[in-house]
Amino acid sequence: MTASNPHKWASLPDPSSAELARAAEGDAQAFKLIVERYQGMVYSVAYNVLGNHTDAEDAAQEAFLRCYRKLSQFRSEATFSTWLFRLALTASVDYKRRERHHPEPVEAPELAADAVPQLGEGVDAATIVAALHDLPEDYRVPTVLRDVYGLPYQEIADATGRPLGTVKVMVHRGRASLRLRLRAEGAGPDQGPAGARPRSDA
Amino acid sequence: MDCSYFCERINLYIDGELGYLEVAELQQHLSFCPDCAAELAQVGAVRGALAAWGRLELAPPSGFSERVMTAVELEPAPGAPKPFGQAVDDALQKLDDTLGRIPLPGGRTIPVKNVIGWSLAVAAVAIGLGRRRGRRPRELTPL
Repeated sequence: MTASNPHKWASLPDPSSAELARAAEGDAQAFKLIVERYQGMVYSVAYNVLGNHTDAEDAAQEAFLRCYRKLSQFRSEATFSTWLFRLALTASVDYKRRERHHPEPVEAPELAADAVPQLGEGVDAATIVAALHDLPEDYRVPTVLRDVYGLPYQEIADATGRPLGTVKVMVHRGRASLRLRLRAEGAGPDQGPAGARPRSDA
Repeated sequence: MDCSYFCERINLYIDGELGYLEVAELQQHLSFCPDCAAELAQVGAVRGALAAWGRLELAPPSGFSERVMTAVELEPAPGAPKPFGQAVDDALQKLDDTLGRIPLPGGRTIPVKNVIGWSLAVAAVAIGLGRRRGRRPRELTPL
Protein backbone atom coordinates (compact mmCIF):
# COMPACT_ATOMS: atom_id res chain seq x y z
CA MET A 1 0.00 0.00 0.00
CA THR A 2 1.26 3.46 -0.79
CA ALA A 3 0.71 6.27 1.65
CA SER A 4 -0.03 9.93 1.85
CA ASN A 5 0.55 13.44 3.05
CA PRO A 6 -1.71 14.38 5.97
CA HIS A 7 -3.90 17.45 5.35
CA LYS A 8 -3.03 17.31 1.67
CA TRP A 9 -6.38 18.59 0.46
CA ALA A 10 -6.61 21.20 3.21
CA SER A 11 -3.27 22.67 2.19
CA LEU A 12 -4.07 22.81 -1.53
CA PRO A 13 -4.44 26.37 -2.80
CA ASP A 14 -8.05 27.09 -3.67
CA PRO A 15 -8.87 27.54 -7.34
CA SER A 16 -8.68 31.21 -8.30
CA SER A 17 -11.92 33.17 -8.58
CA ALA A 18 -11.36 33.29 -12.37
CA GLU A 19 -11.09 29.47 -12.51
CA LEU A 20 -14.21 29.10 -10.38
CA ALA A 21 -16.11 31.61 -12.52
CA ARG A 22 -15.19 29.73 -15.71
CA ALA A 23 -16.32 26.41 -14.18
CA ALA A 24 -19.55 27.99 -12.91
CA GLU A 25 -20.28 29.19 -16.45
CA GLY A 26 -20.04 25.61 -17.73
CA ASP A 27 -16.42 25.46 -18.93
CA ALA A 28 -15.85 21.69 -18.77
CA GLN A 29 -12.07 22.04 -18.86
CA ALA A 30 -12.08 24.36 -15.84
CA PHE A 31 -14.37 22.01 -13.92
CA LYS A 32 -12.18 19.04 -14.84
CA LEU A 33 -9.22 20.73 -13.14
CA ILE A 34 -11.31 21.04 -9.98
CA VAL A 35 -12.31 17.36 -10.16
CA GLU A 36 -8.71 16.25 -10.65
CA ARG A 37 -7.47 18.40 -7.80
CA TYR A 38 -10.10 17.38 -5.24
CA GLN A 39 -11.08 13.85 -6.26
CA GLY A 40 -8.94 12.28 -3.52
CA MET A 41 -10.53 14.36 -0.78
CA VAL A 42 -14.09 13.80 -2.00
CA TYR A 43 -13.54 10.08 -2.52
CA SER A 44 -11.92 9.72 0.93
CA VAL A 45 -14.90 11.35 2.65
CA ALA A 46 -17.34 9.12 0.76
CA TYR A 47 -15.35 5.97 1.50
CA ASN A 48 -15.05 6.73 5.20
CA VAL A 49 -18.76 7.44 5.56
CA LEU A 50 -19.98 4.53 3.42
CA GLY A 51 -17.28 1.93 4.00
CA ASN A 52 -17.10 0.36 0.55
CA HIS A 53 -15.76 1.29 -2.85
CA THR A 54 -18.95 0.86 -4.90
CA ASP A 55 -21.05 3.21 -2.79
CA ALA A 56 -18.12 5.59 -2.28
CA GLU A 57 -17.65 6.06 -6.02
CA ASP A 58 -21.38 6.72 -6.57
CA ALA A 59 -21.57 9.19 -3.68
CA ALA A 60 -18.34 10.96 -4.69
CA GLN A 61 -19.68 11.38 -8.21
CA GLU A 62 -22.94 12.76 -6.79
CA ALA A 63 -20.92 15.23 -4.70
CA PHE A 64 -19.15 16.56 -7.80
CA LEU A 65 -22.47 16.85 -9.67
CA ARG A 66 -23.89 18.88 -6.78
CA CYS A 67 -20.74 20.99 -6.86
CA TYR A 68 -21.22 21.64 -10.59
CA ARG A 69 -24.88 22.60 -10.10
CA LYS A 70 -24.22 24.85 -7.11
CA LEU A 71 -20.89 26.35 -8.07
CA SER A 72 -22.47 29.70 -8.92
CA GLN A 73 -23.81 29.82 -5.32
CA PHE A 74 -20.34 29.44 -3.79
CA ARG A 75 -19.40 32.50 -1.78
CA SER A 76 -15.87 33.02 -0.62
CA GLU A 77 -16.90 33.26 3.06
CA ALA A 78 -15.50 29.72 3.40
CA THR A 79 -12.57 28.32 1.44
CA PHE A 80 -13.55 26.33 -1.63
CA SER A 81 -12.07 23.12 -0.18
CA THR A 82 -14.16 23.50 3.01
CA TRP A 83 -17.29 24.13 0.96
CA LEU A 84 -16.62 21.09 -1.23
CA PHE A 85 -15.77 18.98 1.84
CA ARG A 86 -19.20 19.82 3.31
CA LEU A 87 -20.88 18.96 -0.01
CA ALA A 88 -19.06 15.61 -0.03
CA LEU A 89 -20.13 14.83 3.55
CA THR A 90 -23.76 15.75 2.85
CA ALA A 91 -23.85 13.78 -0.40
CA SER A 92 -22.40 10.72 1.35
CA VAL A 93 -24.81 10.88 4.32
CA ASP A 94 -27.76 11.42 1.94
CA TYR A 95 -26.58 8.45 -0.12
CA LYS A 96 -26.41 6.34 3.03
CA ARG A 97 -29.99 7.26 3.93
CA ARG A 98 -31.31 6.71 0.41
CA GLU A 99 -29.58 3.66 -1.00
CA ARG A 100 -29.25 0.08 0.07
CA HIS A 101 -25.83 -0.74 1.43
CA HIS A 102 -23.68 -2.88 -0.86
CA PRO A 103 -21.96 -5.42 1.36
CA GLU A 104 -18.38 -5.92 0.22
CA PRO A 105 -15.52 -7.81 1.78
CA VAL A 106 -13.27 -5.47 3.69
CA GLU A 107 -10.47 -4.25 1.50
CA ALA A 108 -8.04 -1.57 2.61
CA PRO A 109 -8.15 1.33 0.16
CA GLU A 110 -5.10 2.62 -1.64
CA LEU A 111 -3.69 5.77 -0.13
CA ALA A 112 -2.68 8.68 -2.30
CA ALA A 113 0.98 9.50 -1.56
CA ASP A 114 4.21 7.88 -0.49
CA ALA A 115 4.80 8.30 3.27
CA VAL A 116 3.78 5.60 5.74
CA PRO A 117 0.92 7.06 7.77
CA GLN A 118 1.36 7.25 11.55
CA LEU A 119 -2.03 6.56 13.08
CA GLY A 120 -0.90 5.68 16.60
CA GLU A 121 0.92 3.01 18.51
CA GLY A 122 0.45 -0.31 16.73
CA VAL A 123 -2.38 1.06 14.56
CA ASP A 124 -2.09 0.85 10.80
CA ALA A 125 -4.48 1.72 8.00
CA ALA A 126 -5.68 -1.86 7.57
CA THR A 127 -6.54 -2.11 11.29
CA ILE A 128 -8.57 1.10 11.19
CA VAL A 129 -10.39 0.12 7.99
CA ALA A 130 -11.24 -3.32 9.36
CA ALA A 131 -12.39 -1.91 12.71
CA LEU A 132 -14.63 0.71 11.05
CA HIS A 133 -15.95 -1.93 8.66
CA ASP A 134 -17.00 -4.13 11.59
CA LEU A 135 -18.85 -1.36 13.42
CA PRO A 136 -22.62 -1.80 13.46
CA GLU A 137 -24.19 0.30 10.70
CA ASP A 138 -25.97 2.60 13.16
CA TYR A 139 -22.74 3.51 14.92
CA ARG A 140 -20.50 3.89 11.92
CA VAL A 141 -21.74 7.14 10.37
CA PRO A 142 -22.05 9.18 13.62
CA THR A 143 -18.66 7.90 14.82
CA VAL A 144 -16.96 8.73 11.52
CA LEU A 145 -18.55 12.19 11.38
CA ARG A 146 -17.57 12.93 14.98
CA ASP A 147 -14.15 11.36 15.42
CA VAL A 148 -12.77 11.13 11.88
CA TYR A 149 -14.05 14.55 10.72
CA GLY A 150 -14.70 16.36 14.03
CA LEU A 151 -18.25 17.52 13.30
CA PRO A 152 -20.25 18.94 16.24
CA TYR A 153 -22.91 16.59 17.62
CA GLN A 154 -25.76 18.92 16.65
CA GLU A 155 -24.59 18.98 13.03
CA ILE A 156 -24.44 15.18 12.99
CA ALA A 157 -27.97 15.02 14.41
CA ASP A 158 -29.19 17.39 11.67
CA ALA A 159 -27.39 15.50 8.90
CA THR A 160 -28.57 12.06 9.99
CA GLY A 161 -32.06 13.12 11.15
CA ARG A 162 -31.55 11.46 14.53
CA PRO A 163 -32.10 12.99 17.98
CA LEU A 164 -29.05 14.60 19.58
CA GLY A 165 -29.03 12.22 22.56
CA THR A 166 -29.20 9.18 20.28
CA VAL A 167 -26.27 10.45 18.23
CA LYS A 168 -24.15 10.87 21.37
CA VAL A 169 -24.96 7.37 22.56
CA MET A 170 -24.11 5.94 19.13
CA VAL A 171 -20.75 7.71 19.08
CA HIS A 172 -19.91 6.54 22.62
CA ARG A 173 -20.80 2.97 21.72
CA GLY A 174 -18.91 3.20 18.46
CA ARG A 175 -15.81 4.35 20.34
CA ALA A 176 -16.20 1.55 22.89
CA SER A 177 -16.50 -1.00 20.12
CA LEU A 178 -13.44 0.38 18.30
CA ARG A 179 -11.46 0.47 21.54
CA LEU A 180 -12.18 -3.19 22.21
CA ARG A 181 -11.34 -4.10 18.64
CA LEU A 182 -8.04 -2.23 18.61
CA ARG A 183 -7.13 -3.58 22.03
CA ALA A 184 -7.79 -7.12 20.79
CA GLU A 185 -5.38 -6.41 17.93
CA GLY A 186 -2.77 -5.29 20.45
CA ALA A 187 -2.93 -1.69 19.23
CA GLY A 188 -3.09 1.49 21.26
CA PRO A 189 -1.44 2.61 24.47
CA ASP A 190 -0.95 0.71 27.71
CA GLN A 191 -3.29 -2.24 27.89
CA GLY A 192 -4.14 -1.37 31.48
CA PRO A 193 -2.62 -2.52 34.74
CA ALA A 194 -1.81 -6.17 35.25
CA GLY A 195 -4.90 -7.96 36.42
CA ALA A 196 -7.17 -5.10 35.39
CA ARG A 197 -10.68 -6.37 35.23
CA PRO A 198 -12.50 -6.39 31.94
CA ARG A 199 -15.00 -3.57 31.72
CA SER A 200 -18.42 -3.77 30.19
CA ASP A 201 -18.75 -1.27 27.36
CA ALA A 202 -22.47 -0.99 26.82
CA MET B 1 -18.01 5.83 43.83
CA ASP B 2 -18.84 3.24 41.17
CA CYS B 3 -16.43 3.20 38.21
CA SER B 4 -19.31 2.83 35.73
CA TYR B 5 -20.36 6.39 36.67
CA PHE B 6 -16.94 7.71 35.63
CA CYS B 7 -16.75 5.35 32.69
CA GLU B 8 -19.71 7.15 31.11
CA ARG B 9 -18.16 10.52 31.87
CA ILE B 10 -14.92 9.73 30.07
CA ASN B 11 -16.60 10.22 26.69
CA LEU B 12 -18.16 13.49 27.80
CA TYR B 13 -14.76 14.59 29.13
CA ILE B 14 -13.11 13.79 25.81
CA ASP B 15 -15.82 15.73 23.99
CA GLY B 16 -15.31 18.73 26.29
CA GLU B 17 -18.87 18.51 27.54
CA LEU B 18 -18.21 18.38 31.29
CA GLY B 19 -18.43 21.39 33.57
CA TYR B 20 -15.54 22.56 35.74
CA LEU B 21 -16.66 20.69 38.86
CA GLU B 22 -17.38 17.50 36.91
CA VAL B 23 -13.91 17.64 35.35
CA ALA B 24 -12.34 18.10 38.79
CA GLU B 25 -14.35 15.15 40.15
CA LEU B 26 -13.30 12.92 37.22
CA GLN B 27 -9.64 13.94 37.45
CA GLN B 28 -9.61 13.16 41.15
CA HIS B 29 -11.00 9.70 40.43
CA LEU B 30 -8.49 9.14 37.61
CA SER B 31 -5.64 9.96 39.98
CA PHE B 32 -6.24 6.81 42.02
CA CYS B 33 -8.11 4.52 39.57
CA PRO B 34 -5.69 2.89 37.08
CA ASP B 35 -8.58 1.14 35.25
CA CYS B 36 -10.35 4.38 34.41
CA ALA B 37 -7.04 6.10 33.63
CA ALA B 38 -6.22 3.27 31.19
CA GLU B 39 -9.67 3.56 29.65
CA LEU B 40 -9.25 7.30 29.14
CA ALA B 41 -5.88 6.70 27.47
CA GLN B 42 -7.36 4.03 25.19
CA VAL B 43 -10.40 6.05 24.14
CA GLY B 44 -8.10 9.02 23.52
CA ALA B 45 -5.84 6.82 21.40
CA VAL B 46 -8.83 5.62 19.35
CA ARG B 47 -9.90 9.21 18.71
CA GLY B 48 -6.36 10.16 17.78
CA ALA B 49 -6.05 7.27 15.34
CA LEU B 50 -9.43 8.10 13.74
CA ALA B 51 -8.53 11.79 13.39
CA ALA B 52 -5.18 10.85 11.82
CA TRP B 53 -6.99 8.48 9.46
CA GLY B 54 -9.35 11.30 8.45
CA ARG B 55 -6.38 13.44 7.39
CA LEU B 56 -5.16 10.83 4.93
CA GLU B 57 -6.18 11.01 1.33
CA LEU B 58 -7.31 7.82 -0.39
CA ALA B 59 -6.65 7.17 -4.05
CA PRO B 60 -9.88 7.18 -6.07
CA PRO B 61 -10.43 4.28 -8.48
CA SER B 62 -8.69 4.63 -11.80
CA GLY B 63 -10.74 6.52 -14.39
CA PHE B 64 -12.86 8.17 -11.68
CA SER B 65 -12.39 11.76 -12.87
CA GLU B 66 -13.25 10.75 -16.46
CA ARG B 67 -16.48 9.11 -15.27
CA VAL B 68 -17.36 12.23 -13.29
CA MET B 69 -16.79 14.42 -16.34
CA THR B 70 -18.95 12.12 -18.50
CA ALA B 71 -21.78 12.58 -15.98
CA VAL B 72 -21.15 16.34 -15.80
CA GLU B 73 -21.42 16.63 -19.57
CA LEU B 74 -24.93 15.14 -19.39
CA GLU B 75 -25.98 17.93 -17.01
CA PRO B 76 -27.71 21.04 -18.34
CA ALA B 77 -25.21 23.91 -18.55
CA PRO B 78 -25.24 26.12 -15.46
CA GLY B 79 -27.53 29.06 -16.14
CA ALA B 80 -29.63 27.10 -18.67
CA PRO B 81 -33.35 26.86 -17.83
CA LYS B 82 -33.75 24.12 -15.27
CA PRO B 83 -36.28 21.31 -15.45
CA PHE B 84 -39.37 22.20 -13.39
CA GLY B 85 -38.70 19.60 -10.67
CA GLN B 86 -35.13 20.76 -10.13
CA ALA B 87 -36.16 24.41 -10.05
CA VAL B 88 -38.74 23.64 -7.33
CA ASP B 89 -36.17 21.63 -5.40
CA ASP B 90 -33.61 24.45 -5.62
CA ALA B 91 -36.18 27.00 -4.48
CA LEU B 92 -37.11 24.83 -1.48
CA GLN B 93 -33.43 24.30 -0.70
CA LYS B 94 -32.87 28.08 -0.70
CA LEU B 95 -35.86 28.48 1.60
CA ASP B 96 -34.47 25.70 3.77
CA ASP B 97 -31.07 27.44 3.97
CA THR B 98 -32.77 30.72 4.84
CA LEU B 99 -35.25 29.49 7.43
CA GLY B 100 -33.21 26.61 8.84
CA ARG B 101 -34.77 23.73 10.72
CA ILE B 102 -37.62 23.40 13.18
CA PRO B 103 -36.73 21.81 16.54
CA LEU B 104 -38.96 18.98 17.72
CA PRO B 105 -39.26 17.45 21.19
CA GLY B 106 -36.50 14.98 21.96
CA GLY B 107 -33.78 16.94 20.20
CA ARG B 108 -34.93 16.04 16.68
CA THR B 109 -35.09 18.71 13.98
CA ILE B 110 -36.83 18.75 10.62
CA PRO B 111 -36.10 20.94 7.60
CA VAL B 112 -38.64 23.64 6.86
CA LYS B 113 -38.98 22.41 3.27
CA ASN B 114 -40.31 19.08 4.55
CA VAL B 115 -42.97 20.90 6.60
CA ILE B 116 -43.93 22.93 3.53
CA GLY B 117 -44.10 19.77 1.41
CA TRP B 118 -46.31 17.98 3.94
CA SER B 119 -48.55 21.05 4.33
CA LEU B 120 -49.04 21.27 0.56
CA ALA B 121 -49.83 17.56 0.37
CA VAL B 122 -52.37 17.80 3.23
CA ALA B 123 -53.93 20.91 1.66
CA ALA B 124 -54.22 19.15 -1.71
CA VAL B 125 -55.92 16.13 -0.11
CA ALA B 126 -58.27 18.39 1.91
CA ILE B 127 -59.23 20.38 -1.20
CA GLY B 128 -59.78 17.16 -3.13
CA LEU B 129 -62.01 15.73 -0.40
CA GLY B 130 -63.91 19.03 -0.09
CA ARG B 131 -64.65 19.11 -3.81
CA ARG B 132 -65.76 15.51 -3.73
CA ARG B 133 -68.19 16.18 -0.87
CA GLY B 134 -69.59 19.28 -2.56
CA ARG B 135 -70.40 17.34 -5.72
CA ARG B 136 -74.02 16.27 -6.16
CA PRO B 137 -74.55 12.53 -6.16
CA ARG B 138 -75.09 11.28 -9.66
CA GLU B 139 -78.74 10.55 -10.33
CA LEU B 140 -79.43 7.13 -11.66
CA THR B 141 -81.66 7.07 -14.71
CA PRO B 142 -84.28 4.35 -14.67
CA LEU B 143 -83.76 1.68 -17.25
